[in-house]
Amino acid sequence: MAVKGRSGIRRALPFLLPSLAGGLLFSLLPIIISLFLSLTDWTGMTPISLNPVSFLPFIADNFTGFDNFKTILTTSEFWTVLSHNLYFIVLYLPLMLIFSMTCALIIGSRRHGSQVYRVLYYIPVLTSWVAGALIWKWLLSPVYGPVNNFLAIFGIEGPMWLQSEVWAMPSIVLASVWKDMGFYGMILLGGLKAINPEYYEAAGIDGADRCQIFFRITLPLLSSVIFYVVMLSLINAFQLFPQVMVMTTNAGPNGATEVMVERIYKYAFRFGKMGYAAAFSWLLFIVIMIFTLFQKLGERRFVSYDN
Amino acid sequence: MGKTKKALVFVLLSLLIAAPLFANGASESGDDVVTIRFEQFSGSDGTGSGEALRQMIAVFEEQNPDIKVELQTIGYDDYFTQLQSKVVGQNTADVFELNYENFVSYASQGVLADISGYLGDTSGFNQTALEAFNYNGIQYGVPNSFSNCVLFYNKDLFDQAGVAYPTDDWTWSDVETASKQIMSALGEGIWGFYRPLTFNEFYKGVAQNGGALMNEDGSAFTVNTPENVETAEIMAGWQIDSHIMPTEAEMGGMGDWDLFKSGRLAMLVTGVWAFTDFSANCSFDWDITIEPGNTAKATHFFSNGYVVSADSEHKEEATRLAQFLAGSSEASAIRVAASWELPPVTYEDVLSSYLEMTPPENREAVFESLDYLVPPPVVVQQAEMSAIIDSYLQQILYGSMSAQEALDACQAELESKISL
Amino acid sequence: MTIRKCLQSIAFHILAVMISVIALVPFLWMISTSLKSSGALLAVPIQWIPEEPTLQAYVRLFSLTGILRSIVNSFIVTAGAVVFTLASSSLAAFALSKIEFRGREGVFMLFIASMMLPSQVLFIPLYLIMNNLGLVNNLIAIILPYLFQAFAVFMLRQQMMSIPDTYLDAAAIDGAGLLRSFITVFLPMCRTALVTLAIIISMNAWNDYLMPLVILTSSENYTLPIILNSLSGQFKTGYDLLMAGSLVSIAPLLVVYIVFQRYFASGLQVGGIKG
Repeated sequence: MAVKGRSGIRRALPFLLPSLAGGLLFSLLPIIISLFLSLTDWTGMTPISLNPVSFLPFIADNFTGFDNFKTILTTSEFWTVLSHNLYFIVLYLPLMLIFSMTCALIIGSRRHGSQVYRVLYYIPVLTSWVAGALIWKWLLSPVYGPVNNFLAIFGIEGPMWLQSEVWAMPSIVLASVWKDMGFYGMILLGGLKAINPEYYEAAGIDGADRCQIFFRITLPLLSSVIFYVVMLSLINAFQLFPQVMVMTTNAGPNGATEVMVERIYKYAFRFGKMGYAAAFSWLLFIVIMIFTLFQKLGERRFVSYDN
Repeated sequence: MGKTKKALVFVLLSLLIAAPLFANGASESGDDVVTIRFEQFSGSDGTGSGEALRQMIAVFEEQNPDIKVELQTIGYDDYFTQLQSKVVGQNTADVFELNYENFVSYASQGVLADISGYLGDTSGFNQTALEAFNYNGIQYGVPNSFSNCVLFYNKDLFDQAGVAYPTDDWTWSDVETASKQIMSALGEGIWGFYRPLTFNEFYKGVAQNGGALMNEDGSAFTVNTPENVETAEIMAGWQIDSHIMPTEAEMGGMGDWDLFKSGRLAMLVTGVWAFTDFSANCSFDWDITIEPGNTAKATHFFSNGYVVSADSEHKEEATRLAQFLAGSSEASAIRVAASWELPPVTYEDVLSSYLEMTPPENREAVFESLDYLVPPPVVVQQAEMSAIIDSYLQQILYGSMSAQEALDACQAELESKISL
Repeated sequence: MTIRKCLQSIAFHILAVMISVIALVPFLWMISTSLKSSGALLAVPIQWIPEEPTLQAYVRLFSLTGILRSIVNSFIVTAGAVVFTLASSSLAAFALSKIEFRGREGVFMLFIASMMLPSQVLFIPLYLIMNNLGLVNNLIAIILPYLFQAFAVFMLRQQMMSIPDTYLDAAAIDGAGLLRSFITVFLPMCRTALVTLAIIISMNAWNDYLMPLVILTSSENYTLPIILNSLSGQFKTGYDLLMAGSLVSIAPLLVVYIVFQRYFASGLQVGGIKG
């Protein structure tokens, strides 16, 4: 068992200190400030000071209570945008898991060339979204793009992708899977490598085939890492932003790719409504929190720890 | 393990060596030399105008040995995000750049300095452009460039189809007729006209049809008047009825400039900043003319200006820099030589050297268009207003609302969200 | 049996190569664009191999004022960020996984929750804090926030939880023993996760852009992304230069990645010890 006893916190504190200090100053404090701001109608375009003597009166001067929250929840925009995020997640999550798992299995196999693949699959992760989005815009170009030309070989008429209300979000999903598969693949690989080879040896003796080994041994033993990847990717997917900004100017045809953080960014830095943006973020926070809690419940039920 | 340790030691050592670099680099270069921080987006090394800007600054520093300029160039996409943060933290540069659309938002927040007291002779400025940076009677900035939109046309396509070139008196119906003739003569893949239904084009289109988006004194929106509904119907019709213009889907992600440069578009309404690109990359003859209206003529006005921070400790020097870069004949000459938009000045020699350059042959149209300038409606919540209008114009194009329905809903949303 | 193995191997490589193509096509296209003379991005038909390849974009890139200095600054920021993150996060992860204390789960949930608020809205408050600390125009301000990386703590904790406590009991009789077993036993066993994190963090820090742009106000402190971003204009962007810049900024990351990726293989033995 781990180190126990009443002195636990005293022993733990020195280890936690650097991280906690950084967290208090650079994470918790900004979070508290944003909570204050969410109760105001501040534009975000006038000078403010963090000195409590002037900060608190400033909040009081601009105080509007829960008006921002009420407005957001009663306009249809919030719900439309939330549904766009959920649509993204429903498409993205399974695809991303399949691709990153495939990447991890390929890299993790001891065949020739796996080291080369390990480098290649990570290149999209290293590419910036600005460059990545340009290339995806071109790949998915309806008339001249290679993707539709490729589909045409099989007699399929490709969709209008980013120019279509229906396909704009799936296009974003494709580009995001491309960018993220190497990243999550690497985390899954860490889990794969941590599986005790004795399990495989035992399975080999029992004469199990590859498929059985994957579903009966690898997947269950990887479940904690998979849950971790799902949790991380959910948090990130709700905060989907740069690819939308660079791939679809003005948030897509007829607003088809307007998503939560895109709205938050526009309110904060384009429309001069910082207080409103802060309230919007706190609502997003609550949404993510609810999903994470559900996910935690699922983890308790399904994950088997190796220990 | 050994290697990891070594790597760690190496990293720590290099940090240690690099530590002096962390020291704050605020070195004073002399007692009487003032350093002016200058942040801007329009002079960019990505497009070649950055070099021209550095030349201007060099000339300025030579003429003003008491001032040293520290230039920071920021990409347009993030310029306003970083500017806003610096305003909140009271750490803005002494001189910074604003476009006309954002100018009122900042001027109304009290973060800009009144520079009328420091400005020298302003008679060399184009007065329309100068007045754009005057808010509530106070001069907060000087224009450094301005641009407008004209009608670009592909002469070769007109010749091939045997259609006469556009002239200054063309109206929308002439454009439509010519487009149809060219498209039926030259067949598939050729388009007649390109002018998207966006906020910028719409506000101008509204004026070209004798309407306006706001009433005279700017106290109320007038988006859904009958003439504006008609404007929206006609402009959307170019894409969905007469189909002389490709839809966004038919463009397939290609830009309007690329379509024109590929020689498959007869007429395009766009800004005069396309001259450099079109001169270099069009393999056919092209020219320009004042853009056609319906019942009236109206042209677009863009301008960037330099403003001085209200927090600046060197407002006089900062203004001197802003005025030199924006309006001096030396800086304007450099600007014209670099084909970097149009300097907002009236100096004969500068302007004549601008007019001498071809293509386009009819460069005078750039100046003639100025007679019909309609500045966009500018409100404090500028960006939000144009985003709302844009979203309803899209509803019309996607067929989810009629022009009347969309503009009615737009009017209602603007009234509830935008305070005037 | 051997035929089956052979077929399996072929199928494996076909799949692997297909994914490689998906991953690589955009990258190759970036290289191609950076070598084009006019950088006509959407030229029809697309030129895969530039007709007249030129290194002009790279020459222009490296003649930008202050680019070399900015690369040095980016290295400093990146190294600092990696050291800060790995040190503080592994310590915290150790405490949160191996030392029992009341409220441990609560502290951990706080760490996780901090990831759920979008950084865009925390941006101005964070900037104000740096401003108040007097760290404007100081590279330290870019590095300091890396002390707290909830995601890194999360990842390392996950890894440490899978290491049996038996390794701890033997070594950790007193406080000093705890630190010793952390350094001599647990850190080496988390090597895979640490290298993975180092790569992720160096990528983030190397590409970090908006905060440095606001914090760093004088040219001798600029980082590489600030210079690269200044290339995008109001009405148009020089794509050849942009792509050359992106490639130059990927290159060091790629080298670091290639050098360190073999540590993933050695993670295998670490996994083998435990059970």
